[in-house]
Amino acid sequence: MCEGSGLREAIIRGDAAAAVSETRKLLDQSVKPVDIISDGVTPAMAVVGRLFENGECFVPELLMAARATKDIFQILRPLLAETNARPRARVILGTVRGDLHDIGKNLVAAMLEGGGFEVTDLGVDVPPERFIAAQKEKQAHIVGLSALLTSTLPAMKAVIEAFGAAGIRDQVKIMVGGAPVTKRFADTIGADGYGENAIASVDLAGNLAGEWKDKESS
Amino acid sequence: MNDQQWNTLLSVIRGEKLSTLPSGFIIDSPWLPKWAGHKILDYLTDDRFFLEANLKAVRTFPEVMFMPGFWSEYGMCTEPSAFGAVSIWEEDEFPFAKRVLHSAVEVERLDRPNPRKDGLLPFAVKRLQHLEPEIRNAGHQIRFAVARGPLNIASFLMGATEFMTALKTDQELMGQLLTITTDFLVDWIAYQRECFPSIDGILLLDDMVGFISRRDFEAFGAPYLGRIFSADVTVKFFHNDAPCKACAPLLPDIGVNLLNFGVQHTLMDMKAWTGNKITLLGNIPPRDVLAAGTPADVARAVKAMLQPLEDRSRLIVSCGGGMPPGVPTENVEALISAVIEN
Repeated sequence: MCEGSGLREAIIRGDAAAAVSETRKLLDQSVKPVDIISDGVTPAMAVVGRLFENGECFVPELLMAARATKDIFQILRPLLAETNARPRARVILGTVRGDLHDIGKNLVAAMLEGGGFEVTDLGVDVPPERFIAAQKEKQAHIVGLSALLTSTLPAMKAVIEAFGAAGIRDQVKIMVGGAPVTKRFADTIGADGYGENAIASVDLAGNLAGEWKDKESS
Repeated sequence: MNDQQWNTLLSVIRGEKLSTLPSGFIIDSPWLPKWAGHKILDYLTDDRFFLEANLKAVRTFPEVMFMPGFWSEYGMCTEPSAFGAVSIWEEDEFPFAKRVLHSAVEVERLDRPNPRKDGLLPFAVKRLQHLEPEIRNAGHQIRFAVARGPLNIASFLMGATEFMTALKTDQELMGQLLTITTDFLVDWIAYQRECFPSIDGILLLDDMVGFISRRDFEAFGAPYLGRIFSADVTVKFFHNDAPCKACAPLLPDIGVNLLNFGVQHTLMDMKAWTGNKITLLGNIPPRDVLAAGTPADVARAVKAMLQPLEDRSRLIVSCGGGMPPGVPTENVEALISAVIEN
């Protein structure tokens, strides 16, 4: 459907204007929004992710591809809502309290959205109570916590504990990531998963979403 | 650093082989205040706590080179404050600086700060001037001018996402921004050297460099870092604990002769990429091993790091990055012992 349309290539080279133009052309050709995502956006972001992991593209290139994806979703989101298309899972993301860094979180948000997840981005310096409030409103399946500062790592634990104290820890899978975060740390604080980078976080979210679906169907 | 440590550092940088490998760490507010029993804000605002904590470190671990040593800093706020960034202070958390640029075009209105008068810079200098007699009495001297790097400052002024994106969308303006941050850094380092004639080294910390391609490093990193490192000092120390495969081969050409890097790369890889022209400060895992591991874990990590190394010249054993919060005394002692044993 999207093959040969130029959409994937536009995303890969981070050309937001071309990506939007190609998306509009596909819609004009009656390609369904959900197919534009699954056949255009998702494989393109997977290529970008692979290039990043191989050291063939870097953070600025990744951000440009993410920006193109974001612009595409501005067009597709209302159309998806009209068709009641279901996302793979709903994800709430935020950088924890005391930390203003957003680069990792933004990359994860774009990669997740490109991967078919519905993302609610709470921004930076997010206190535990905002995560809880967002969870109660959105009923997300996954909550992603980001931190860049070593000093804000304890704030991740505080969020997880707040979910426990609110009695909703079982409702949601919590994944953590960011430069100072390690698998060992994630295990220590009781997170359900650790995303080593933005690309790995998408795979992780896919696995956690799978666990959630298994739990729902059992 | 005392004279002996400084001379050891110079010997290592010259490529001389020492009978025992040296150990060294970058220490600052992520580790030092809590290790010394102070709240972060007390450490940053009380000269007595600052002096006491730094003296405790150098006296507890006399074998270790602490670099820069007696680093007068205010977390990530030091340099951004000079550009007018609002600094936010918590009782026991690191201060952070709010961004001052909300779009790339706002670079046009950015003024080059005066390090003698602007932001927290006079405070940083005055603190050291007030304490210098006691630092000297303890046998140490101020050896390094220290600053965050030009890309790092730019990312604080704009926001990291916005800065990294603008490197692609607004290249001319980003060149302008980096020129301003670099001009400022040249002034700031010159002023530190003027205030402390014992300075014969520069420590520049810039993790942003690790996130860009070699091509972007050639355009937005090397020219600016090269200008700063062209200062007439003996030790040109660069810290980047983000991945640095792309920039590593170019670091010798911009003058770097001492590098603290992260855990993404091995010492052998880094030696190869830099042509063994740079002294490496690294690189056992800082958080999982040095902070969260046992002394036995630390000893194992040191052994595993050193064993495959045939050429141990130009090496100072450390962790991959600055000393992280929570590193206990016994783990530093374990590293020192493991270095001697291996």
